Amino acid sequence: MVRDIQVKWLLMISILLVFSGLGGFTVSAAVDQRVYDNADLLSESEIAELEAVAAEHSRKHGTDFLFWTTADEQSLYIQDDMGDFYDTWAEENNQENAVLLSMNIATRDVYLAGFGTAERTLDNQRVDLVLDRIIPEMQRGDYAGAFHETVTTSSRYMEFRPGVNPENIFFKTWFQVAIALLLGAGIVGFMLYNSGGRVTTTPTTYFDDDHTKVTSKLDQFRNKTISRRKVPKKSGGGGGFGGGGSTGGGRSFSGGGRKF
Amino acid sequence: MVIQYKCPNCGADMSFDSESGHLSCPSCGRQDEIETFPETNILRKFDPGEAKEYHCENCGAVILTEAETTATHCSFCGAPVLIADRLSGDLAPAKVIPFTISKEEAVAAFQKWTKNGRLTPRGFTSGDRIKKMTGMYVPFWLYDIDGTADVAALATRVRSYTRGDTIYTETDFYDVRRQMDLSYLKVPADASEKMDDELMDKLEPYNYEELKDFRMPYLAGYLAEKYDYDDEALFSRIESKIVPYIDSYISSTVSGYSTVSYTNKQIQTNKKNVYYTLFPVWMVYYDFENKEHTFAMNGQTGKVVGKPPISPFKVAAWFTGIAASTFAVMKVISFAVGGVLW
Repeated sequence: MVRDIQVKWLLMISILLVFSGLGGFTVSAAVDQRVYDNADLLSESEIAELEAVAAEHSRKHGTDFLFWTTADEQSLYIQDDMGDFYDTWAEENNQENAVLLSMNIATRDVYLAGFGTAERTLDNQRVDLVLDRIIPEMQRGDYAGAFHETVTTSSRYMEFRPGVNPENIFFKTWFQVAIALLLGAGIVGFMLYNSGGRVTTTPTTYFDDDHTKVTSKLDQFRNKTISRRKVPKKSGGGGGFGGGGSTGGGRSFSGGGRKF
Repeated sequence: MVIQYKCPNCGADMSFDSESGHLSCPSCGRQDEIETFPETNILRKFDPGEAKEYHCENCGAVILTEAETTATHCSFCGAPVLIADRLSGDLAPAKVIPFTISKEEAVAAFQKWTKNGRLTPRGFTSGDRIKKMTGMYVPFWLYDIDGTADVAALATRVRSYTRGDTIYTETDFYDVRRQMDLSYLKVPADASEKMDDELMDKLEPYNYEELKDFRMPYLAGYLAEKYDYDDEALFSRIESKIVPYIDSYISSTVSGYSTVSYTNKQIQTNKKNVYYTLFPVWMVYYDFENKEHTFAMNGQTGKVVGKPPISPFKVAAWFTGIAASTFAVMKVISFAVGGVLW
């Protein structure tokens, strides 16, 4: 097991070295650590697995998927701590495109942010959608699962053109198949029904315009009812906050956070 | 009494020509106006044993008919004959729409129709297995209907708006009442027992501008029948036919509401006039895969009705084609909008 992981590590590092040798354009591949588990929430093997998945999707989008956990009870705003972490990271790695999931286990805050190109490809709306999916796992304590899901879901969403809702039902293949089958059945059913000739008389065919008329007409107001209800609020997993902003170092980002 | 129309030129038996609307002679080509056809050339013959047997004036053969037949051909010499006592008195039609589609045109129109059959088997679409085509005047009753309707309804008008963080929904209730006079003209119902009601209903509408006062020569050369049901017997069918029309008129008079629910609807209809009328129908008997299929064609407009055979293969092909192309189109759209195929 340990041997296996070592082999994987070696392989990955050699791949990274090869990529870094190719030049500064695929800079994301130059990064060799993406998981900063300061709060010790993940096991060694979970970190290795997460690093592998993050590396794979980072290459795909030219955007690094980063994870930062902390257990700071004094923290007031997770955005600020996250911003500080990112400023340092970006300067150290000379890298501006990233998706960063930050988590403070002490305050039970989680914050997902998109920097650089990811600010557009993972905008606030998409961040919310990702959070919707990972919060239940976070609440169960399955942090590895939640982090894995963050990479795959964000990566999936980032394939969509910026601005569109990736969870729109029209993008679902099952929905497209259902519409296609319904339309096929509907049209062929209509053709079958009409194969023996259609009724082409209408209510006006035998209508006598000259002698059909309304002789008396009444529209009497009777009563009125008014019902009130609150404008429904979007319910998050324990209150949402954020919506993007700027780090202390002046890097702007899209993002959103929740309590879990 | 048997009636035959003799050509003033050559004495051959004349028949109605759908193209010109005249009586025409098949041997010398002479055409005569129906209104001015010389009385002397109308051959009327009384049979002593009438109501049982009719005899062809040409050849003397017994004309074999069913009890409803009013116009036919002599089965022996082929001469067009009319059986006049089945067309007079109570049985005299008031109106007729003459054939405007000749047999050749009917065959062509039928073949064109079979070619357009998208779900019919390939062998059927060639339309070349017509076994028999019969031009037939089918008896109909046309009803002029008048009536009244008195309806009451509870209607609502709903509007909603937002003030602050509250959504208000205002519903105004109205008592609605409408009284109206109704009139429908010349609503047809077929009075022949043999004819399938659904088939005959689908043949409508006919163009009433060509509705003519009945004259016997229109029938010469075609088959015709007398009615099996009188106008009283068919009135209930007419009522069920016009109720949806009336309902749609009623709802057109109640407009501008979000919802309308009728609390009381009283509709009374009476027949004002009835006209015993003959409508032209081509009956097409078609052989396909050892089965005879019957179709009917409106002899005035050329509309074809009847149950054609259905090819399961073509049904499946259309279904697959439509479903697959819809799916492809949706994929293309989702790619264009979202930039993602899967």
